[in-house]
Amino acid sequence: MKKLILIVLSITMYSCEDPIDLNLNTSEPKLVIEASINWIKGTSGNEQEIKLSLSAPYYDLETPPANNALVSVFDSNNNEYIFAENGTTGVYVNNTFLPILNEAYTLNVNYNGETYSASETLKSVASIDSVEQKNDGGFSGDETELKAYYTDPANIENYYFFEFRNNFTTLPTLEVYKDEFTDGNQIFGFYTEEDLTTGHEVTIRNYGVSKAFYEYMYILLQQNSEEGGGPFETTPATVRGNCINITNPDDFPFGYFRLSEVDEINYIVE
Amino acid sequence: MTYANRKLLCLFLLFPFLIFSQEKFTLSGIITDESSNETLIGANIIVPSLQTGTISNEYGFYSITLDKGVFEFQISYLGYTSVVQMIDLNKDQVINIKLSEASERLNEIIITDDVEKLNIRKPQMSLNSLSISTIKQIPMVLGEVDLIKSITLLPGVTTAGEGASGFNVRGGSADQNLILLDEATIFNSSHLFGLFSVFNPDAIKDIKLYKGGIPAKYGGRVSSVLDIYQKEGNSNEFKMNGGIGLVSSRLLAEGPLKKEKGSFLLGGRSSYAHLFLPLFDIDNIAYFYDLNTKLSYKLNNRNNIYLSGYFGRDVFEISDSFENTYGNTVLNFRWNHLFSDKLFSNLSLIYSDYDYDLKLNFVEFDWTSGIRNFNIKYDLKHYISNTFKLEYGLNSIYYKFNPGEINPTTETSGINSFKLIDKYAFENAVYLDAELQITDKLAMSYGLRFSSFLRLGQDELNVYENDNPLIFNPELKIYQKAEPIGTDSFKRSEVIKSFSNFEPRFSMAYQFNDNNSVKASYNKMSQYLHLLSNTSSPTPLDVWTPSGKYVKPQILHQFALGYFKTINKNNYNLEIETFYKTIKNRIDYIDGADLIANNAIEQVILNGQARAYGLEVLFRKNEGDLQGWIAYTLSKSEQQTKGRTPEETGINDGLWYDTPYDKTHDVSVTGSYKFNKKWSFNANFIFQRGLPATFPNGQYEYNGISVPIYEARNSSRIPTYHRLDVSAKYIPKPNSDKNWQTEWIFGVYNVYNRNNASSISFRENRTTGVNESFKQSLFGVIPSISYNFKF
Repeated sequence: MKKLILIVLSITMYSCEDPIDLNLNTSEPKLVIEASINWIKGTSGNEQEIKLSLSAPYYDLETPPANNALVSVFDSNNNEYIFAENGTTGVYVNNTFLPILNEAYTLNVNYNGETYSASETLKSVASIDSVEQKNDGGFSGDETELKAYYTDPANIENYYFFEFRNNFTTLPTLEVYKDEFTDGNQIFGFYTEEDLTTGHEVTIRNYGVSKAFYEYMYILLQQNSEEGGGPFETTPATVRGNCINITNPDDFPFGYFRLSEVDEINYIVE
Repeated sequence: MTYANRKLLCLFLLFPFLIFSQEKFTLSGIITDESSNETLIGANIIVPSLQTGTISNEYGFYSITLDKGVFEFQISYLGYTSVVQMIDLNKDQVINIKLSEASERLNEIIITDDVEKLNIRKPQMSLNSLSISTIKQIPMVLGEVDLIKSITLLPGVTTAGEGASGFNVRGGSADQNLILLDEATIFNSSHLFGLFSVFNPDAIKDIKLYKGGIPAKYGGRVSSVLDIYQKEGNSNEFKMNGGIGLVSSRLLAEGPLKKEKGSFLLGGRSSYAHLFLPLFDIDNIAYFYDLNTKLSYKLNNRNNIYLSGYFGRDVFEISDSFENTYGNTVLNFRWNHLFSDKLFSNLSLIYSDYDYDLKLNFVEFDWTSGIRNFNIKYDLKHYISNTFKLEYGLNSIYYKFNPGEINPTTETSGINSFKLIDKYAFENAVYLDAELQITDKLAMSYGLRFSSFLRLGQDELNVYENDNPLIFNPELKIYQKAEPIGTDSFKRSEVIKSFSNFEPRFSMAYQFNDNNSVKASYNKMSQYLHLLSNTSSPTPLDVWTPSGKYVKPQILHQFALGYFKTINKNNYNLEIETFYKTIKNRIDYIDGADLIANNAIEQVILNGQARAYGLEVLFRKNEGDLQGWIAYTLSKSEQQTKGRTPEETGINDGLWYDTPYDKTHDVSVTGSYKFNKKWSFNANFIFQRGLPATFPNGQYEYNGISVPIYEARNSSRIPTYHRLDVSAKYIPKPNSDKNWQTEWIFGVYNVYNRNNASSISFRENRTTGVNESFKQSLFGVIPSISYNFKF
């Protein structure tokens, strides 16, 4: 909520914004583990991929892939799913993965002689009931906004991760929600994008996630937020995910090992 | 020192008047303005032959006790014609003195000894006074006279940027300032999120800012005290004054309820830009208003009563999606009673609240929060002898905190109503402060405040395993909220947790000669309330939280040392002060802490510490057509939150880091020049090191977005800040009949249009995906005009 207000403040307060080039410091490259197991409802979920990359200087256009790693996921019965690298893309794939709701999985990565590990549970998710479009929405009252409604299961803590992708901007819009104030209700994921208009395609995904991922993503989105800066800015900090470096605990990797059931809808703006 | 000796010393310190025996008499009374009967605060009453004197207190009362004899008394006040009177002090006497405003048509001699000038003899140091007339001369953005922005031109006082709310004193945070308006606490001093301050300059009589050596009378905040008094109103005749500015307009009416006995004051100020927005087809609304009221009545020579009120609101509406209102309400009844011509007392009964309301219609909810308190203060000032004064009193405050409530705004809203648990507390203090002139050259003041804080019973207080609400995960090296293992409910009359602190205060002055002195001071203070805010400067929706089971009170120790010099018969003065202070239990927030709508704040905070030290130089010219000052501050303000065990990382890896309002160098030059009776000119120049900021030192890709990697907290700086402002005042008919007077003020803020960075932001371009950085700046060159009148 605070974030919403800060966006409003930033809009109303900042009269002038100029690009500025700064001589930023550069930190040592670190391993980034994007291990997102997504089981889209109605599919087998057998085909999964894990991306490994390295961090880079802030202004660089690309981040390099992390090649030649050994990547495996284990379930609680110690069944191993080996993820093999697709060429030198840093993308590691497996075609025989068996997703099971509420099953605990462990990720194991061996890269450059160091072993990384993470554990997480596959979380279920509520389906998207419907999408509502409003053409005089958003903060300014003249933006197209979408609300993707879903019904939160009552009396259990649920956490949601929404992803909205369209066919005209590069970046997805990401949101995380918890049901603290909406338990058991029909509620929505909220999306608005400048210039969104009739005919645009929006892919909406609702991921079931753990509380720990919710907290991780909440901070990460805060750090990445567009409205950063100003007297109402929260002090940024580096976010740590759930992966640890077993060989050298102080040199922690970035990224997260997440397993989610996913509901996906393709919406064409009317 | 043996126990007996110490006891003797205590006796000596407390009862120095015992050693006098000669016959003594007391002169006392009230000093007022002749035309309005407004009491004058800080007027000087000097006996030149004895090189002694006193000053009038916050209610215009003075008392001086001397040996029997005939003395010449000089009574003077800034901008007023002095009165010289021979008084035969052969009995106790009450003499009320009326001073008249200096008129320049007559060629009178005006003694301009005033509150802004340096009193090198008194032990009080680290005190800055600004008269309202000085404040009104300082050029400000959009011509809006601003009390808070004016005090930031003084050494040791800064803000966390142009648009930031509140102010920072000697490296302290904004919530560590005690802001008193007619003795009532003001919780939010800003309008429009910090662009303007809430004080209507027309209704204000006097302001004092204590940065250090804070007398025992004050407590509850650890950084500073800003003590503001409203005018009482003219008890002789009906008067009005007002002004029209670009941002707001003001109108103030005052007059007698009963001639020379009672008066009223009613002042209003409102911004009005929003009235014109519909003309441009803008449905956004943003405005503020203030209402200042006061009734004063003199029951008899020994009793005065005052009823004063302040009411302020900010209102924002952005299309239909966002509605936001907030503000302070203060009601205050005071009774001045003179027990004798040496013992002055004031009883205050105060109600004050701050409330905040936010409706977000597009997500269909309404959020409210607030704090309210009832405050009883009883202060006595005892003028025991010419060299010894005692102040003592007590203070009790009852607080009710509403940390927040969420309600759906529509029937179909997916939001459930939710009320955060209200909190209650009771803060008490007793104090004693003595001021003693030991020899002609040496003066000291010493005092003790005993404060206690009782956190009262509430519903559903969380209980945690091992009383630990915040768990450190040693594997991931992050802090995680602990799950409560249950809750406890208490009766409202029960005390859940109590704290108490002895807070000694000490200061002394040694005067080498008429022009030079050194002063030193020490004070310990405690603060039991905390403003939960993890932004660089507070926002209106931040909530206050009391100390309790999981949040400890902040404890300050401050040492200050100063050298004071007057040059050329007080024409110029120079103040150099250094200070060092430490604050224990400064709360800090774990990464990603959610402070709003959080029923369990203890799960996201850690207790850390803060320290600040610096050097302040103030050189001031007090007389002549050209007046003004140069202020320079060199300082450092840092905080640190270490892990509770060696294993924990703490915040920022447990290392010291600069606070968001740390300004290493801060220079301000303020000047006014009186060209002739019609024209006067003012200018100020400000030069400051850029504020600390945290910049990215890398990036990585995750889930299709670029995530910045940040360096250690606040280890970079935004670009240097500087600007020049000028203004000119034009009085069309300075010699006209006093019945209708007008003036025009023309100003230019940021004359050379520097785009000062208020912040640097980093983001990924949504279309191209490229990382970019931007500099935000708030005010470019801004001309202004305003018109003031009085009749």
